Amino acid sequence: MSVVLSVQNLIKHFPIAGSRSVVQAVNNVSFSVSRGETLALVGESGSGKTTVGRCILGLIDPTGGEITFQGNRIDKRNNVRSRHLRGKIQLVFQEPAESLDPRIRIGVTIGEPLRSLGSAREDRDKQVREMARRVGLEEEALYQYPAELSAGQQQRVGIARAIITDPELIVLDEPTSALDPTARSEVIDLLITLQKELDTAYLFISHDLSTVRYLSHRVAVMYLGMIVEQGSSQDIFSRPRHPYSIGLLSSVLLPNPRLERHSEVSLQGEIPSPIDLPNGCFLASRCPFVEAQCSERMPDADDIGSGHLVHCFKHRDVIDDEKGTLDYYERFQAEAEKLLSSGQQ
Amino acid sequence: MATTPEPSTILNIEGLHVSYPVYETAPVRALRGIDLQVREGENIGLVGESGSGKTTLARAIMQLISRPGRVDSGRIEFAGRDLSKLSEEELRAIRGDDIAMVIPNPRTELNPLVTVGKQIANVARYHLSLPRKEADAMAMAMLDAVQIPDPKRRFKAYPHELSGGMAQRVVMAIALICSPRFIISDDATSGLDVTVQTQVLELLQDLVQQQGASMLFITRDIGITAHYCHQVAIIYAGEIVEIADTASFFDNPQHPYSVMLLSAFSHNPKLRGMWSKPEELIENAEAGGGCLFAGRCVRASDTCLKEHPKMRSIRPGHGVRCHHPVER
Repeated sequence: MSVVLSVQNLIKHFPIAGSRSVVQAVNNVSFSVSRGETLALVGESGSGKTTVGRCILGLIDPTGGEITFQGNRIDKRNNVRSRHLRGKIQLVFQEPAESLDPRIRIGVTIGEPLRSLGSAREDRDKQVREMARRVGLEEEALYQYPAELSAGQQQRVGIARAIITDPELIVLDEPTSALDPTARSEVIDLLITLQKELDTAYLFISHDLSTVRYLSHRVAVMYLGMIVEQGSSQDIFSRPRHPYSIGLLSSVLLPNPRLERHSEVSLQGEIPSPIDLPNGCFLASRCPFVEAQCSERMPDADDIGSGHLVHCFKHRDVIDDEKGTLDYYERFQAEAEKLLSSGQQ
Repeated sequence: MATTPEPSTILNIEGLHVSYPVYETAPVRALRGIDLQVREGENIGLVGESGSGKTTLARAIMQLISRPGRVDSGRIEFAGRDLSKLSEEELRAIRGDDIAMVIPNPRTELNPLVTVGKQIANVARYHLSLPRKEADAMAMAMLDAVQIPDPKRRFKAYPHELSGGMAQRVVMAIALICSPRFIISDDATSGLDVTVQTQVLELLQDLVQQQGASMLFITRDIGITAHYCHQVAIIYAGEIVEIADTASFFDNPQHPYSVMLLSAFSHNPKLRGMWSKPEELIENAEAGGGCLFAGRCVRASDTCLKEHPKMRSIRPGHGVRCHHPVER
């Protein structure tokens, strides 16, 4: 697989006016995304997910580190607005209603990215129709305004607008969090189908873990601007090793009262402020496994096989491997299938 | 669960219709005959999509439907009193005192110019007629009870100085300070991160249980109801389409809409396809006077298009409004 995007030791600090301290939004983040692959960045709000996304688009300049897109470095001068990168990286936003111009018809909105690429008008119209068909929009929707569409349809417009330039990478910043469950699953299905057809790389930023489980090939768990654990989706969900990942996974409430949440690891309190972070592990103040060395230095990444990286001193003691899989999604799936596949007419 | 052997009904809603007039067209019927009973000490989860009438129901219980919206018919009884017959003054005494509401978006709903301690204490001063000092002490105790770290300092904080999770706890403190008998939580945890959400839910459940109160837990997330509610009610287009004990509901969901909601969580597109119609096939079934869900339903028959289904009991404590409930 060819790497589309590679991020090396990305750091982004925001200065605070009238003060010497800085907001350490992103601290030493490294990952890569290949063609046809989805990498999910998950974490709570304030963990720096969106800042990473904005750095990749070159909308803000990183404090340190390197972002390479198809061999080209991305920075403030050389970004999505530059001629040779235009349309190669696209973005789908969180709030579909707010990311569409309420006074422009849907068809024009979808075709807009092509204008800056200088395509002819007839060409554009043909492509707009083609994209609308692909994302499952009726042709009459092209002549409507955003307010006339449902939230799910609006998000389809957002996706059509992103794929019309045939991008190499799409940054999806919480594209489903504003949708109802039924619309959400449809949009996710659409994204998966499109990825198979177009072989695009997705960077999927989300805090919705059940969506992540379904959509992504690899998962990176972020906490206070750091990726504390990353690995294949299968590994992270069935054998999470970092106390934070385990806490995060056990907080998800699946619609089945018998799937008790595994309560061995419960996180206390909330995400601390990213101003003047401590020297040690950022989770030390919330972690039930904390010991002396945790507050002294940040643990290095430990590779526990097939690219599964964990930043934790005690990850071997956190989870008892004997107990087998922790993948509650899989158990939920199995039970849901049993329950829902019966009783059809 | 309540400890009393035969818990009595604290809230009784019968045939509640609420509509909002629309210029030059038929009014939007937000609630179409809601029947709902909540027993003492019971926690009932109300699940529905956006626009299904969840918030209207909460506002109707509080007698806060604002013009031009109107209650067309039906009655709401709280502890044996018909709320619509009470004067504004009597209602003010009930709101916050007997029935309290936990709202979403705490940071926009709290008064930004008043410290959170004072906002909590004001409720106690008004409703319990306490002198300032005692009210302040009570507010401080409440901040402690909702597990806000360093309550002395937070007492003097303004809402913008708090994180989302902490502001939500403040709203809970405001709702719970008068030990209400009935609590309405309107999508109260939707803005929170998952780890904070579980903490807040646990806390809310503990406090409600300690006070022996009942709760109507309104949410879009059916997952929450599985773990924190005794009963689940599914609302669709202003109608309750299924209501059951949590265990019964999740073991044996009957209404095609409930099954569709559950299948939306499934990672299996085939399973989802089985229970939901593609968007282009969805038609508006309201006009024919049939089942409101018929246009989206995979099991719809001719009867469904003509005849509006009545709520019927499948087994004790499990009701469904459907001509063709899912049988297993």
